[in-house]
Amino acid sequence: MKSVSLRLAASQFALALTLAAGVAHADTLTLYTSQPEADATRTVDAFKAANPGTEVQIFRSGTSDLITKLAAEFAAGAPQPDVLLIADAVTMELFKKDGRLLAYPEADVEGIDAEAYDAERTYFGSKLITTGIAYNTAAAEKPAHWNDLLKAEYKDGVVMPSPLYSGAAAFMMSGFSENGDIGWQFYEGLKANDAVTVRGNGAVLKSVAEGEKPYGILVDFMAMNAKAQGSPIEFVFPPEGVPAVTEPVAIMASAKNVDGARRFVDFILSDEGQALARDMGYLPAKASAGRPGWLPEGVEVKVMPIDIKAVAGRIEADKEKFSALFGG
Amino acid sequence: MADAAGRRRGQDHVLTAAVVAIIVVLSLMPMLRLIQEIVLPGGTFSMAAIDRGLANPATLTATLNTLVVGIGGTVLAVVAGTFVALLVALTDMRARNAFVLCFVMPLMIAPQVTALAWLQLFGPASPFLRLLGIAPPLGTRNPLYSPEGIVLLLGIQYAPLVFLLVRAGLRKLPRELVEAARAGGAGWGRVLVSIVLPLMTPSIVAAAALAFVSCVGNFGIPAFLGIPANYLVLPTLIYQRLAGGGPAALGEVAFLSVLIGVIAMAGIVAQEAMSRRRDYRVSSTSLAATPYRLGRWRLPVEVAMWAVILGLLVLPLFGLTLTSLSPGYGIPLSAATATLASYRFVLLEHAASSRAFVNSLALSAGAAAFAVAAALPVAYVVAWGRQKWVRYVNMLVELPYALPGVVLAIAALLLFLRPMPITGLHIYNTVWIILYAYLARFLVLALRPTVSGYHQVDRALEEAAQVTGAGLFTRMRAIIFPLVAPAAMAGGLLIFMTALSELTVSALLWSSGSETIGVVMFSFEQGGDSKYAAALSLITVAITFTLMLGTNLFARHLPSGVLPWRD
Repeated sequence: MKSVSLRLAASQFALALTLAAGVAHADTLTLYTSQPEADATRTVDAFKAANPGTEVQIFRSGTSDLITKLAAEFAAGAPQPDVLLIADAVTMELFKKDGRLLAYPEADVEGIDAEAYDAERTYFGSKLITTGIAYNTAAAEKPAHWNDLLKAEYKDGVVMPSPLYSGAAAFMMSGFSENGDIGWQFYEGLKANDAVTVRGNGAVLKSVAEGEKPYGILVDFMAMNAKAQGSPIEFVFPPEGVPAVTEPVAIMASAKNVDGARRFVDFILSDEGQALARDMGYLPAKASAGRPGWLPEGVEVKVMPIDIKAVAGRIEADKEKFSALFGG
Repeated sequence: MADAAGRRRGQDHVLTAAVVAIIVVLSLMPMLRLIQEIVLPGGTFSMAAIDRGLANPATLTATLNTLVVGIGGTVLAVVAGTFVALLVALTDMRARNAFVLCFVMPLMIAPQVTALAWLQLFGPASPFLRLLGIAPPLGTRNPLYSPEGIVLLLGIQYAPLVFLLVRAGLRKLPRELVEAARAGGAGWGRVLVSIVLPLMTPSIVAAAALAFVSCVGNFGIPAFLGIPANYLVLPTLIYQRLAGGGPAALGEVAFLSVLIGVIAMAGIVAQEAMSRRRDYRVSSTSLAATPYRLGRWRLPVEVAMWAVILGLLVLPLFGLTLTSLSPGYGIPLSAATATLASYRFVLLEHAASSRAFVNSLALSAGAAAFAVAAALPVAYVVAWGRQKWVRYVNMLVELPYALPGVVLAIAALLLFLRPMPITGLHIYNTVWIILYAYLARFLVLALRPTVSGYHQVDRALEEAAQVTGAGLFTRMRAIIFPLVAPAAMAGGLLIFMTALSELTVSALLWSSGSETIGVVMFSFEQGGDSKYAAALSLITVAITFTLMLGTNLFARHLPSGVLPWRD
């Protein structure tokens, strides 16, 4: 225990030094991100290698924890981060509306689909995380289309992340509702088929891979990484289109280190940053950066066009509708 | 003489001031800061958050459901915990020390881990049911996805808490009374109903109140069982609002938290009312009474008790072990596929995990030590003080524990985001803000048992010392501490074990370098790496188990009853 208290004392001492010096590093960048831990570390390490001399302070957590922390910081009038890298554009729209984001008109968006970044250049999609259908290899059916999940053979067999708890699932719900071909009746059908909602994608993966439920609505990389490790799971991209969140990067209007934040955005959008996203098992925002190992050439991933602003406008009402339909 | 009297009065004032300071800093400040966020968001008065909260039909549903599972879970925990405590304390069952050690271990397994283990056991993927050939077909709804399931797991989760408190109380059971009744021909049933249970009322009621507050504030179990069952309780509703509401949700969330606080307070008021109805003090700290001989029932009882351990401890741990050895989800585990790679990764390759061990152990031990030290004077004033207001003030201590951890974390963020006035100290983004939040949250776990400990002690001893001129601090050290130590230390142990697996508070407060075990585990889970999380969880359990066994070495130097797993 002695060394522990020494450590604590040391950190307190370091803190006192920091206070005395005012600012510890002239070039410190504070990043808040909802990337998985290993990915966040790799991203920061690569950024530091490309920008020697820049220190990065990082806070990593799930999207809702992260937004909660940020909300408290706004309420206390002292937002800490310079730059954000979080799961979905809808949240970015909310921040933008409140004037929390700084535009970066000079950002190099060459080669990135215009749907993946904000026209006013306040946030920029870094990758495409799509949602499709996962199924256990022991399942009786082989789903191919979204509406397959509504068939009688799938009754009691479907698990999905709850839009009330998962940002990506909420985005998908409002995106589907906007889309005339699928629409709200998709959710009514799921309810009629006794689909089960769980808190997040991790729980869906567990349920499907272990065979508790044979079919699940799941993000691509989780299913594919589990498959690569040998889990009995398959994944399909329904040809009607898959919703994709873009994990955008954005500079805070309150950023203290604007220059460092810009360099971070540059890095994420650069060929090197995009190649890194690909190597970590994601579909990069820049098509020229190639495809992750799990996605064979020739498999077409049709991303469903979804209007972020329309979604941001209706997402709360849709959640209430969902809550009324499913209960909970 | 006048000097001595003056010094004694001075010490009394110091005590009162210290108690008030502790309660204001740890309980009142975070609650007021939250209330400010409800009615004064951004500095202007507004009822919008309250209106929004009241208008939402989900608020009423969630409140009623919270009451249902809160009461159900409490009843189950109290019945089970008290029953086990009576068996351990009063009968001649063998291997008691080992049993107690095993029975309290589940406290430090995070609720969500227990929930997952049980879900797996009853689900279609259950290796156990498959072994018996009675596994339900793929896709069958898990019976634990229901209010009954939530009540069952809450009861299981908090039975050890009730056990610890009642066990500490039973150490004060006067041998003379029991033996007099026995000599007078009373059977054990009669002794139990007319002597033991009445004397244990303060402990049982205190344990029930704590279990109730724990149940209504629990997030992990309703999150895993309630969301699939579409059964909403206040803590899950709060997460729902936070997940989707963005910055605007803060006020509404604070309002919902106050609702939980009100429900929890009702439990405490009931406790106060019940434990003041009559006098439970006993003057002796005699040896334990001759145990009740179970006779031919001894073996069956022992088998039943160890079967309970099987369900409570071995099963979740077994599930965790399987997960930690597995190379991935759903891959059948065999000698060929099992791997220690997860342990290697967690112990050697992942720097944050090692830091998290050090941080969490230091934070839990620090919080436990400070809370016990603070609980002794606070409980003294609460239990024996003449100031009536103290009784009401002490209920405030309950609030930070009843709030979901994330809400307390928000309060701490709001309080410490800017440097503190006057001192200029800035604890944001350091390990100290987590320690503060732990103290605020867990103080009640040490305070309640200590107060009930005071209620059981006859004050005559202290008054005798006072008459002979012993100052307050001397009396505390020489008389009071040894008498209430078992209860206070049971509380300290509760804090240590709960804080070690704690996640929801530190999830918002950690920063690079001050990770906790809960934060690292949750990161793994979120990234789909349950195997790493399982390995981490098992290593934590192993370390704590070793530490607890290690305390046996010092047991000779401690007052009797301080370690609950030693007779």
